[in-house]
Amino acid sequence: MLWALLGLGAGFTAIPLFTESDYLLNLGVQLFLAVALAQSWNVLGGFTGQITLGHAAFFGLGALVTRTLWGNGVGILLAIIPGILVCIAFSLLIGGLAFRLRGDYFAIGTLALAEMLRIIVGNLLPGISTIPSTALTNYALLPRYYLGLALAALVVGVAAALARSRIGLGMQAIREDEAAAAASGVGVLGHKLLALVISTGLAGFAGGVFAYYHASYYPQYPFSPLWSFEAILMSFIGGVGTVHGPVLGALFYTILKEYLAVRLVEIHLLIFGTLFILIVLLLPGGLVEVWTRFRRLVHRGS
Amino acid sequence: MVTWSKPVLEIEGLVVSYGALTALQGVSLTVGSGEIVVLVGPNGAGKSTLLKAVAGLLHPRSGAIRWEGEELSAIPPHRIVERGLALVPEGRRLFARMTIRENLELGAFTPRAQAEKSRRLDRVYEIFPRLQERQDQLAGSLSGGEQQMLALGRAFMSAPRLLLLDEPSLGLAPRVAEAIFSVLGEFHREGLSIFLVEQNVQAALTLAQRAYILEGGKIVGAGEGRSLLQDEHIRTAYLGPLARGGQSN
Amino acid sequence: MILAQQLILGLLVGGLYGLAAAGLSLTFGVLRVLNVAHGDLLMLGGYVTFWLFSLWHVDPFLSLAAVAPSLFFLGLILYCVLFRFVVRAREEVRIKNSLLIGFGLTLVFQILAIQFFTADERSVTTAYGGEAIKIAGLAIPLVRLASVVLAFLVLAALQIFLNRARWGRAIRATAEDWEAASLMGIPVGRAYLWAFALGTALAGVAGGLVSVSYSISPTIGLEWTLKALIVTVLAGLGSLFGSFAGGLLLGFAEAGSGLLLGGAYREAVGLGLFLIILITRPQGLFGSR
Ligand SMILES: Nc1ncnc2c1ncn2[C@@H]1O[C@H](COP(=O)(O)OP(=O)(O)OP(=O)(O)O)[C@@H](O)[C@H]1O
Ligand SMILES: [Mg+2]
Repeated sequence: MLWALLGLGAGFTAIPLFTESDYLLNLGVQLFLAVALAQSWNVLGGFTGQITLGHAAFFGLGALVTRTLWGNGVGILLAIIPGILVCIAFSLLIGGLAFRLRGDYFAIGTLALAEMLRIIVGNLLPGISTIPSTALTNYALLPRYYLGLALAALVVGVAAALARSRIGLGMQAIREDEAAAAASGVGVLGHKLLALVISTGLAGFAGGVFAYYHASYYPQYPFSPLWSFEAILMSFIGGVGTVHGPVLGALFYTILKEYLAVRLVEIHLLIFGTLFILIVLLLPGGLVEVWTRFRRLVHRGS
Repeated sequence: MVTWSKPVLEIEGLVVSYGALTALQGVSLTVGSGEIVVLVGPNGAGKSTLLKAVAGLLHPRSGAIRWEGEELSAIPPHRIVERGLALVPEGRRLFARMTIRENLELGAFTPRAQAEKSRRLDRVYEIFPRLQERQDQLAGSLSGGEQQMLALGRAFMSAPRLLLLDEPSLGLAPRVAEAIFSVLGEFHREGLSIFLVEQNVQAALTLAQRAYILEGGKIVGAGEGRSLLQDEHIRTAYLGPLARGGQSN
Repeated sequence: MILAQQLILGLLVGGLYGLAAAGLSLTFGVLRVLNVAHGDLLMLGGYVTFWLFSLWHVDPFLSLAAVAPSLFFLGLILYCVLFRFVVRAREEVRIKNSLLIGFGLTLVFQILAIQFFTADERSVTTAYGGEAIKIAGLAIPLVRLASVVLAFLVLAALQIFLNRARWGRAIRATAEDWEAASLMGIPVGRAYLWAFALGTALAGVAGGLVSVSYSISPTIGLEWTLKALIVTVLAGLGSLFGSFAGGLLLGFAEAGSGLLLGGAYREAVGLGLFLIILITRPQGLFGSR
């Protein structure tokens, strides 16, 4: 199964060799951002079972820091790193307190935190953020495309490595039964904090790529709860808590969104919202589970 | 063994488990009409599990629970109450944030009990005048003994024909426990069948016509109430000086 | 003078926070399910009032007599189709899945509302909409005052139902201990159904009042859910009037902080308050999480 992901990565690396279509490259960047958002959410919400509704806070923070530095002349790669670091620092700052909350309290607490940040940023920076005119005239899609691809590859790579590691197993044990995990010697808070740091650091990276990619937007836009919501939708529809699921979910989501946006605005959210509810109720394994069931059927048939 | 009358409750080969743990491993027993049957056993034997299964709160893995010939194990708890079985659960489970009066009236929730509500309420107040004095106070404010009286009264309100009681004397002063037992005797004389789980083996066996001993999820002994008091195993395990601590594991 | 005026306006909006919170805490308290789509149900109720007014000139206060039953009915459907399947699950699964379902519903309702009602902000403007009671130089908008009074009356009626009626008591008993309730012969599933539908109806009534006193749009759901949540953690569960008082308090605090920090931050202050309470009471409203 990991080969499928590697093949996918190789395919996306090769695409610009065959086409210069802005349409495809733009779609590519959006896909990479979607993969990064979903997979980074999945590390905390899927592997570790800590459903957060505040993922956008870190996406937004990364975007804010990176955009500010980059706008002031710092090279983009150098500007992204502080964005990630700020996210990690902020997550450590709130982590100890946030993890005192359980279940739905954790979810709504993180949502409230993200909304608070969004409101504050919106008040402090009411104007539209536009990239410097020099950058605008030289705007090229290719570097954005490859930076996005690198981001997606990194996020998926981290998730894959984590899933196979002892630490990842500890996280999953916490998701299944926190008390039992603690009883069998898993450091619960440590694992949760690590998941939070990885998840938010990667979200900050994604925010940085967003800041590099979008020519102009309101600074509070990347803090919008919709980013958290999309991450959750994609993870669940693909298959929450797996490595392939969020990638599959992001692909499906981005393509359907693109396809439907041509006709009706936002209708994709209606479809995904409904699909999401059905999956939560009837098919907790998401599309990945459909695939494995299908394969089992085929194997039995042959 | 003598069965005193036609059985109303018949349990056969009952198996109940919590996940991997099998708490009841094939229990069979009967309660006859108008009988007082006692179930004794050490902590963790599965006594509460048995009562909960009868009341419909737990679903058996296999086996049968028959009430007057009708299979109960697939029937939800509220319908079992309608059929005339009332459980006074372990720990009483009163509605602490509601008044005593409200607790009692809730006991008569089923349509069948509604019809007898005022008559039964008078009867409960007659048996437990304390409850009437304090009827508008919150149940949470009662003492342990009063709470047990309320739990008993609440069950009585549902117009039961079989009372299932889970350790009603637990944590009560001996005199209060005695009062509770005497009320049970009175209910019995009025025609109720009683199935009683008790740690207070002496008192329970004195009251009982028949008794079963449950250990490790299995019935390991049975007999007539008073004669069991003489039983060697009962004497050493449940009535001796080391009884309480010695048996629980 | 401005100060007093602002604080009064804060109290008036607070009454509606209270009504929104009462519905949320009813479902939360009885089903132990946090319905994050509560604000979106409120939004839908607002649209019922709005359309009844714009299409048939039904007086918005009168229209509540239609809003409440229609949202009650919606609540019945939502419970039977969705929440019924999660309430009996073991605690972690129930919390997680109900949260996720509610979250999915917010998206669905929001997009449906945009689709059918457009994204425009709407409000009901009646002939008497501009009138105000003037006392000591303060102007109290009549419609907002009437809304708060009505909110209070609705809660009082519901409280009487919960205290006196056979099913009202069954709902309270179920909230306290569903197992014990089932031993009383109460069909617990039915109690959940009634409680959920009542909570939904309350959200709808709150929405109707919001549409005449303030304004509605398809995206207000999240904001109102958060308000209701803030009030609920502030006031706790178990008392409708507690929710109402908590709502007044939040409205008051928002107005006060708006005066101190500037109106733009009043929302952030409420959320900050919320986080502080959450962290100081992390065990949750039931005390044993
Ligand atoms: N909800 C539960 N989940 C898992 N195991 C349980 C549960 N309830 C009881 N058990 C286990 O089932 C067994 C029987 O328990 P039960 O409560 O029926 O015993 P009991 O005879 O009533 O004991 P006691 O005298 O202490 O009340 C015990 O080993 C107990 O640990
Ligand atoms: Mg017991």
